[in-house]
Amino acid sequence: MNSVTPSTTGSSSGSASRAASAPDRDLQAPAWVIVARREILAKLMEKSFIFSTVITVAIIGAFMGISSYLDAKATTYTLVTTSAAAHDTAARLGPKISAVDDKVRVTTREVADEAAATALVRDEDDTVWFHEGPNGWTVTARDEVPSALVASAEAAIRTDTLERNAAAAGTTVSQLTQGSALGVDILNGDAERQGFAKAVAFVLAFLFYMASLGFGMMLAGSVVEEKASRIVEIITTRIPVRQLLAGKVLGNVVLALGQMGLYLGIGLIGLTFTPDKSYLSSVSQGIGWFLAFFLVGFLLLACLWAVAGSLASRSEDLQQTAMPLSMMLMLVWFSLFLAKGTVATVLSFVPLFSAVLMPMRILQGGVPVWQPLVALALSILAAGAVVLVAERLYRRALLQTQGRLSIRQAWAAAE
Amino acid sequence: MIEVQGLSRRFGDVVAVDDVSFAVHDGLMTGFVGGNGAGKTTTMRMIMGLLALDGGRVTWDGRPITAADRRAVGYMPEERGLYPKQRILDQLVYLGELAGMSADAAKQAVMEHLERFGLADRAGDKVEKLSLGNQQRVQITAALMTNPAALILDEPFSGLDPAAVDSMADLLREHQARGIPILFSSHQLDLVERLCDRLVILAGGRVVADGRADDLRHQGPARHRLVLDGDAGWVRDLPGVHVHDVDGSTALLEIGDEVPGADQALLAEAMRRGRVLEFSRIVPPLSEIYREVTA
Repeated sequence: MNSVTPSTTGSSSGSASRAASAPDRDLQAPAWVIVARREILAKLMEKSFIFSTVITVAIIGAFMGISSYLDAKATTYTLVTTSAAAHDTAARLGPKISAVDDKVRVTTREVADEAAATALVRDEDDTVWFHEGPNGWTVTARDEVPSALVASAEAAIRTDTLERNAAAAGTTVSQLTQGSALGVDILNGDAERQGFAKAVAFVLAFLFYMASLGFGMMLAGSVVEEKASRIVEIITTRIPVRQLLAGKVLGNVVLALGQMGLYLGIGLIGLTFTPDKSYLSSVSQGIGWFLAFFLVGFLLLACLWAVAGSLASRSEDLQQTAMPLSMMLMLVWFSLFLAKGTVATVLSFVPLFSAVLMPMRILQGGVPVWQPLVALALSILAAGAVVLVAERLYRRALLQTQGRLSIRQAWAAAE
Repeated sequence: MIEVQGLSRRFGDVVAVDDVSFAVHDGLMTGFVGGNGAGKTTTMRMIMGLLALDGGRVTWDGRPITAADRRAVGYMPEERGLYPKQRILDQLVYLGELAGMSADAAKQAVMEHLERFGLADRAGDKVEKLSLGNQQRVQITAALMTNPAALILDEPFSGLDPAAVDSMADLLREHQARGIPILFSSHQLDLVERLCDRLVILAGGRVVADGRADDLRHQGPARHRLVLDGDAGWVRDLPGVHVHDVDGSTALLEIGDEVPGADQALLAEAMRRGRVLEFSRIVPPLSEIYREVTA
């Protein structure tokens, strides 16, 4: 058996008055950095964490891929005709239909009679019978007439007929319609952009909710783990409790921000492959603000999650001690849908709510820059206050190992 | 030297530790003995600064103990546990770094200890994969690897098999030889008797015995055993001799100090009456002392 010779690096052994022989901490990273590093590394080596991150990235990627594929995909319809007039018109309409809607392409096919035409329509997909109707032209389809085709064909036929009638009357379309143009200008930006902003706000709020809940539960769980296994007793005889709390909170903030950045980055890259990329510049400002609010909001929440963990003695207690926090997050999440008008404006200044509502308002446009700055300052103040309160609760609850504690008990507990 | 003076701690209405004073001397192993709820763990936690003191003080070499002193103490809590899902080497290095070691020095110290315990090849395993005895070895490594300036160990031997107890005892003796104070609690009195120079016995939150193990066993009235070749009934009549039991030729007696020289008088009388086969002092085992002082 090998022997360990306890060497005497720090102290002179045998001396009666021996000073504490801790090596010089100045040479080392501060304790909170060591704690934060362990939080991060331990999490990065956890299979479930890696797995869920990879899955989420895959889902985002697939979603982006599918939507850009669907956006880009054009459908080719076959117009079956049974007369020379219909065939000529269909052939002439083809390019015009595609000009109206670039996702609609048209080919033509001439058959002998109505029976052959309806047989084709019945048997083949994306095939319609184009023929003369009582008042112009008729499209006969199997189950339902493709709306994209009808809309673009209608416009194309109208233009085509207008051109031909104008030519017959010895004039042109532009002469006929001169002075009739109606310009459109919407003060709130256009509706499509609004819809896009809403979708982005929804995604950001969802990310905030999921990250706060997921990383929060993880942090609370690791606090309980340390408490239940009593390793916290070893740790807190070596470093101050404040450093332990700071390290754990910061480690989780880094992890959460990293994961968030990864998801948003992939989302934004994916966006550049879709037609929605024209909106990219308009949302990037909102996303930038979101990250700032996320950072402060998550910091505040992380301290509270650590307290929730310290109030429990076993992981079974955690559901209950974390209940108020989960409820609050739920409320923040629902505020995105429920808060309207003035309520939304006021709430967008309230810490935590601001993390969701302020980016939404910024994305919708028309928010002066002082508003997010004030909201952010309020959040930072709130986070500072929460850190102070949480530290006291955490420190006092950490070594109480008899069952669950209420916040009041933890506040009043002797150290 | 670590000294506690007048240490007290209440939990609600319960007085867990009541005016406890004792010293843990340099280079000596002090056993901390007492039943469940006697206040051992609470006292150790107060020494380590994990619990606030309701009264009294803890000193290190005569001055109030500081956070830096405590960081240099190898401490092993009672209900021990490490991160169950983290690799052994990683978390021991982490704990070493928190105690102020560099990562390299910590790694080296961990591997030396694991090798000694025959666990070097398990360094990359998660703690939860180890048997309870091996988890205990990892735990003690966490306390010893920092080359501590003192050791405070709460039940370090519980759950260990005899071979592991021996190897742990050897390890503690090596640290003792460095001249550091060592305090450990245990329920196993035979072990305490074998290892400890000094003994502090706690009952109901109070110190009921404190001193060198030998002194404790020799304190109180001396008991003797006398074996003769004839009947020993006559010993009842001698002054200064209190008879516990006479069984034919064998007598168990207590010789008080109210009659000087009573033991010599007894022996002389016995030799006058016949052959003395045995006359010996009985040193009670620690377990008996323990039962007496905690009764």
